[in-house]
Amino acid sequence: MSHFDIDEYAYLESPFHSFDPRAKFVSVLVLMFSIVLLNDIRILTAGLLLAVALVLISRIPLLFVMGRLKWVALFVLAVVIVLPFSVSGTALFSVGALTFTKEGFLQALVISVKAFSVVLLIFPMLATMKFVSFIKALEKLHVPNRLVQMITLTYRYIFVLLNEIQRTLRSIESRGYGKRTSILGLKNLGTAIGMLLVRSYERGGRIFDAMVSRGYNGTMETLREFRINSKDWAKAASIVAVAVLLHVAAFTSSIYLGAI
Amino acid sequence: MHIADGILAPEVWIAGFVITGIILAYTLYRTKAEEIPKISLVTSAVFVASLIHIPLGPTSVHLILAGLAGVLLAEKAYPSVFIALLLQAFLFQHGGITTIGINTVIIGVPALVSYGIFVVGVNHTRFEQRLVIFGGLAGGVAIVLAVVLTSIALLFGGEEFLGVVALLAVAHVPVIVIEAVIVGSVVGFLNKVKPEMLAGVRE
Repeated sequence: MSHFDIDEYAYLESPFHSFDPRAKFVSVLVLMFSIVLLNDIRILTAGLLLAVALVLISRIPLLFVMGRLKWVALFVLAVVIVLPFSVSGTALFSVGALTFTKEGFLQALVISVKAFSVVLLIFPMLATMKFVSFIKALEKLHVPNRLVQMITLTYRYIFVLLNEIQRTLRSIESRGYGKRTSILGLKNLGTAIGMLLVRSYERGGRIFDAMVSRGYNGTMETLREFRINSKDWAKAASIVAVAVLLHVAAFTSSIYLGAI
Repeated sequence: MHIADGILAPEVWIAGFVITGIILAYTLYRTKAEEIPKISLVTSAVFVASLIHIPLGPTSVHLILAGLAGVLLAEKAYPSVFIALLLQAFLFQHGGITTIGINTVIIGVPALVSYGIFVVGVNHTRFEQRLVIFGGLAGGVAIVLAVVLTSIALLFGGEEFLGVVALLAVAHVPVIVIEAVIVGSVVGFLNKVKPEMLAGVRE
């Protein structure tokens, strides 16, 4: 378990930080879907380079980005290891009874490039705005209000509860019941989780009363209203244009250069 | 259990968005305003608990706790799972944005089913330890179902994914047992300390 920080890099300055949250969210989302729908490895490589370029433009520290990439790496790992051996096609080499095929390798490559491109794009999209701005953007985009409220509260309390469970686990450990994978160890862990749930449940009731008594009516208030200016439109339009261009390029290259 | 972007055929993730959209709309419509903080806090707690790594031989596994979400939140477990995955995908940068719909189906539907098993089991039997036993069953069944649904989603992409599916299934066998024990123990604890938190239990 590692420690998270809220809005760690939301206060830097870059073209992405000044980008209107709504326009940024929607345009980058379009780019993500566009990349996932591509199948040509040449165009996908261009997409990946573009994603890297956007991360650089957003000035989010690369070390932070790299650290977070390990998760997506973990998720695609199984596919990347298994596919080159399970897809049939031209054999490149073989290990025992397993053959490593060109087609399988290509498919694994396509999958990983897509997965990494999408994850990279999350950084310029979301790490460049404060959480409240994200919530307000969802609200302005007419995401159902109940959902927005749940997202807000859940996210906010993750940090509080993470501290709480870490304290509980430390106290369990200091009494000699470390995290052990035995029935007893798991039962102890279950009790700790149960305690966390009881506290959270009661806290939920109290928070709601406190919020209502301070005038909460389900909407998020921020000090600055969003205002889309011509620069925001230009940025959003260029991102969407690139998303469309990738597909145009894929289509043209499939005609003139042939599919791989 | 979290399918990354780019693995699935578009038909599968589009279907995921449709199914999730329908179930979400229905469950949110049935949610009362005053329930929102409690659902959120329980979602938060389940999310945090799922970050705990449990050492297992040379590696470690982390919990999914879909069954626990079901037992605590009944049909509201579905929006709860959706929100947890949304936060994981966007704000903790795990990715899985185009697959968020299908991933919610993969974890959320087992949560609903395990809630069903728990409620029917607990209300129709009369033995001492029934809450712990059916809690554990709910916890274990949720993972089995999630593995089955993930496999189905992957196999739509072609039979070359059989190897991946096999790897996934084998890797989750210990998780099934661990989750069953933990969810059983959480339910047993809550039954003693705060029984009103367990959804749908009639005395």
